[in-house]
Amino acid sequence: MADPLTLLALFNDIEPAVNAIDKLHEMGVPDEKMDVISGIPFNHEVLGRPKVPTFVPRLAMGGAMAGLIAALFLIFGIPGLFPLHVGGQPVFPIPPFVIIAFEMTMLGLMGTAFVGLFLAGRFPSYEPVIYVPEISDGKIALVFPCPAELQAQFEQAMRSLDAEQVRLMEAKPL
Amino acid sequence: MATTAESIALPDIPASASENPHEHLMLDPRPRGEMNGMVLESMHKTSKKFWGVVVFLVMTVAFALVGAWGYMIANGMGVTGLTRPVYWGIFITNTVFWIGISHAGTFISALLRVMKYEIRRPFTRAAELMTTFGLIQAGLSIFMHLGRVWLFYWLVPYPNERTIWPDFHSPLMWDFMAINTYIIASTMYLFLPLLPDLAMARDRSTGWRKIFYRIIAMGFRGTEAEWKHLKSAMNIFAFAIIPVMFSVHTIVSWDFAMATRPGWASSIFGPYFVIGALLSGIAAVMIVLFVIRSTMVNMKYFIRPEHFDFLGKLLLIVSMTWAYFFFNDYIVPWYGGSKFEKILEDFHLHGPLSFVWVSMLICNILIPWAILWNKKWRRKPWLMLVVGILVNIGMWIERFVIIPGSLTITRMPFTWREYKPSIEIPLTVGTFALFMLLYMLASRLIPLIPAWEVQEGQNAHILRKVGKAAIPSVGDID
Repeated sequence: MADPLTLLALFNDIEPAVNAIDKLHEMGVPDEKMDVISGIPFNHEVLGRPKVPTFVPRLAMGGAMAGLIAALFLIFGIPGLFPLHVGGQPVFPIPPFVIIAFEMTMLGLMGTAFVGLFLAGRFPSYEPVIYVPEISDGKIALVFPCPAELQAQFEQAMRSLDAEQVRLMEAKPL
Repeated sequence: MATTAESIALPDIPASASENPHEHLMLDPRPRGEMNGMVLESMHKTSKKFWGVVVFLVMTVAFALVGAWGYMIANGMGVTGLTRPVYWGIFITNTVFWIGISHAGTFISALLRVMKYEIRRPFTRAAELMTTFGLIQAGLSIFMHLGRVWLFYWLVPYPNERTIWPDFHSPLMWDFMAINTYIIASTMYLFLPLLPDLAMARDRSTGWRKIFYRIIAMGFRGTEAEWKHLKSAMNIFAFAIIPVMFSVHTIVSWDFAMATRPGWASSIFGPYFVIGALLSGIAAVMIVLFVIRSTMVNMKYFIRPEHFDFLGKLLLIVSMTWAYFFFNDYIVPWYGGSKFEKILEDFHLHGPLSFVWVSMLICNILIPWAILWNKKWRRKPWLMLVVGILVNIGMWIERFVIIPGSLTITRMPFTWREYKPSIEIPLTVGTFALFMLLYMLASRLIPLIPAWEVQEGQNAHILRKVGKAAIPSVGDID
């Protein structure tokens, strides 16, 4: 059997796009094989699709812990290395620790959330991808594989559901 | 694009039958392609007047900032007006002022995002840019104050050549940590919601702009997974950056409050500084929105009287809160009867700078209270510009009164001396010029309107009929 083709169906509105997703389910395309590309975010419940997992929050929590550990070193590790008596304060002070721990924890949390987006989204990526510029102008694209022998059938199904265009796509540089 | 959303009450748009609902941006949608075109046109259409202003600002920065700073470095801090007992002058005043300005971006963008205030959508980016550029000016002002600026790295937590680490008992180190956390976090927070708009600019640009946007859009396409990761990161930032914002100005206030000086040793300084920061920040957003609206094409569609009305209400509430904290900070030392606190209060009220102290109260209390109670006046952009400028003058004065104004009176009367700034004045002008220059240049490269967020909001809004009135409503599609 020949390699499946990749089709891109472009819709003007969310309603026909959601109907087309249902139709693709009926035609045997599983959720994990299709993708929805849009100029604004749509909740998975709006699209009737499974929730997309993301590890960004878990990574951010790890970053927060790392930040806290770094703060522990700054506040308790440094005076351990170089004990300084300042203004009658203890060598290992708790109140300044609260401040430094807060700042470092938040920096770790946000820094890793930022890095997490790049890791999870695989940014930056300048490899050829399937995309059409009309998406950022408000169109909604469904990208899905289809067997070569069923191409006409899939195209007809998408057009009957108000797809503005159905194109055979190959990955291109953005 | 139409969506069906369950109608719920909308908190920030007045449900009045006498108003035209289409005056609300969220209820006046345009096709996304057209909206993108409007945003990009506003970036690309540049008049000769614009470049004339840019050249003027470049020259001002060159002479007033670079030139004056170079002169100060070459000749030492003796060329400033700093002398005993006022060792913290206008540089620290400017630092606190610019950090205050930077609070608006986070407050407006993050807090209103968390609270789901839909009216925020068109002006979050303009406010976030202010945060980043304001913090740059704050950082420069600290460096000016350092004198030997080339040794700034001594603050960085690593052992110096004497194998001594910075001492974290010091409030100045807390400041270093807090301000750096805020600079890094707010710059990242500016970039996150910008990513889809950079992708939009990439799709519609040609030539060098296409290459530029292709690089910084980083391959963003808008797949479900990309949106999910982006929204997830934005949510984390929106929640986490709010307490960081509060911490920054609280810690800045501790630079003063931790000292046992008259006028500084105050347990209320933390919240007093935070609310002052919000007051100047919101006023600055009003100024920026007025300038954007009146100088950039198509901006009247995005920035409307309803936005000035909303910011005006916010400013009025914050001004009242500032007055409450100011009075608290004033009455307790007055009642306490400490000799030097009394002398300082007399100095503020009847000394040579008493007109400055009174101007602060006029600008921060009288003007906003007299104007902002009136809805019609709040919807006049030019009037909001005037209020914004006066409030910012008042807030700069407040920092001046607190810092050099209070340092003048110490517990050693033989040291009392008035502070007379000299080279600090051109350097202050330089920071303002640099802020404006950076903002103007950014407006040519960065979409100042988050087009995707505006469209997302417009998709969620509907008019719901209640009796004979059409009530604006918003569906929660997040």
